[in-house]
Amino acid sequence: MDAEMEDAETRAEIEWDGGGGGADAVLALAAGGASVSLCYHQAFGPHDDLVLLEAADDLLPDLLQGRVTIRGRPDEEAVLCTPSATYSMKFVGTSNSVFLIPPGEPSAPCLRPDNTSGDANAADAVAAAIKLAPGNIELVRTAPRLDKLRSLLRERPYILDEDLGDGFQHKKGLYTWQDLCKLIQASDGELLDGLNTLSAVEIDGFWRTVDATSMNTILDMILHNSVLHDWPLNAVPENDVLSVMESDGFAHKIVTHCLNRFGTKVEQEGRSFWSLDEKCVCLQFARRVLGAGKMKLANFMDKWERSVPSGMRVDLQMLEGEVLCDKLGAETWVHAFSVADLPLTPAERFAALFRERLKWEWKDLQLYIRDLRVPGVSSEGLLIKYTRRTQPSSEAEPIFTAR
Amino acid sequence: MEIRVRCGCGDSSCPEWAVVELQGAVQPQASFSGDIRGLHIGRLCSAPSPSSSKGGYTFTVGYHELAGTKVTLKKPLLVLRKKKLTGGAADQETPTAAEVELEVIGVIRHKILFKDRPKALISKPPTKEKAAVQPAAN
Repeated sequence: MDAEMEDAETRAEIEWDGGGGGADAVLALAAGGASVSLCYHQAFGPHDDLVLLEAADDLLPDLLQGRVTIRGRPDEEAVLCTPSATYSMKFVGTSNSVFLIPPGEPSAPCLRPDNTSGDANAADAVAAAIKLAPGNIELVRTAPRLDKLRSLLRERPYILDEDLGDGFQHKKGLYTWQDLCKLIQASDGELLDGLNTLSAVEIDGFWRTVDATSMNTILDMILHNSVLHDWPLNAVPENDVLSVMESDGFAHKIVTHCLNRFGTKVEQEGRSFWSLDEKCVCLQFARRVLGAGKMKLANFMDKWERSVPSGMRVDLQMLEGEVLCDKLGAETWVHAFSVADLPLTPAERFAALFRERLKWEWKDLQLYIRDLRVPGVSSEGLLIKYTRRTQPSSEAEPIFTAR
Repeated sequence: MEIRVRCGCGDSSCPEWAVVELQGAVQPQASFSGDIRGLHIGRLCSAPSPSSSKGGYTFTVGYHELAGTKVTLKKPLLVLRKKKLTGGAADQETPTAAEVELEVIGVIRHKILFKDRPKALISKPPTKEKAAVQPAAN
């Protein structure tokens, strides 16, 4: 920047009302030899409070109707969020002189360098530049940054019969929707999806995950009551189960949350029923069986089969992305390894996967990367970037190792 | 933290700004000692002889003339203005982002781009104009 302009910066900026530029005169310049006299605005200056944001046409309605926010903490790179998508913001500078000409009637005539105005151009329309734009902000669609959401919600999961302390004085580890909007770099839609993926529930205004033991207790009580009251597991009457559970001391909200997590609601003849999902329920029992650590596969299958509610059938395929089987000598061992516990960013995800196993076969690996979504990058692209693929022979299954 | 992007003008009536872009920098003579506010920069003309199908423009700065065209931006630029919200937080030592919001005050859909080097107007007799364009050497 010129020395002169730096001088101008040090001087106090003149209050500017946002107009006085005569942009219309420039925009209306058409064929026919018309001309406009361009000058520096009376309030010309650096105007650092003015920023240019490049926005594709499909983003304009959200921006112009106030549905956009910028999210991030001071130590994070800011992202721009529409109701449904997240964009990273990148400043792109220019070495050109970009004169910005605001709208409105020009407030003062141009001052000629020689202080004369007796020129043929004196009758020209006037346009005034308010600042030189140093560049603009570009937006690039990006994945929501939800890793932090998981760690925040794990600070203080909901526990049955918990005591939150006197009058909610101790809100540490508890987050409202507004808190999360400030802390998580994701659009509202993506944040809500993230909360659903984590099976979080809003309790007394705070978004919580439910502690696994508490969830097991509630599920057990629902199953127990179903046996007691002869409710079929694919048609548990909603009113009945809620009132029975309530008399046992379980809040409506948390029971409904549990039913939602392990089943789907069906309406029949004006009544609501819950159909418990075999896979979801069996998976929960598998986690419980494996909670103590790795087991021999046969041993595990036997224990798992005996633990699930009668009428439900276990199948090892239900545990895709939840457990890993390893052959040690003649024995096959199984241990819990859930995709839900792995990082959400590709680099960290692959690092975690290769810490678990040095070599992955495709059939196993794909279960642990199929949920990764990076705008503009295919899963093939992710594999090329983060793995090395080897195939001993053309018939053999490809093996993936760390790059 | 969260910074809201507001727009007071609504969808259809967002005022359009104009942009004149040229390579290098316009340098006022040193005699203005940095106070260039209100100073004339140059004269912008729609080309009198529209030989090309697209209407051309000329920009005359001192003894130099630039030729350019009007370009429609592939993606519009929004002009945002940072606003500090005045709320009873004046006693805080540093203003937090919660007190800042961005307001959309305009939209830019076109620019008049002068991407060529200037041509000297040698046929014109010298006048007393002092401003001169000095393109950067890129």
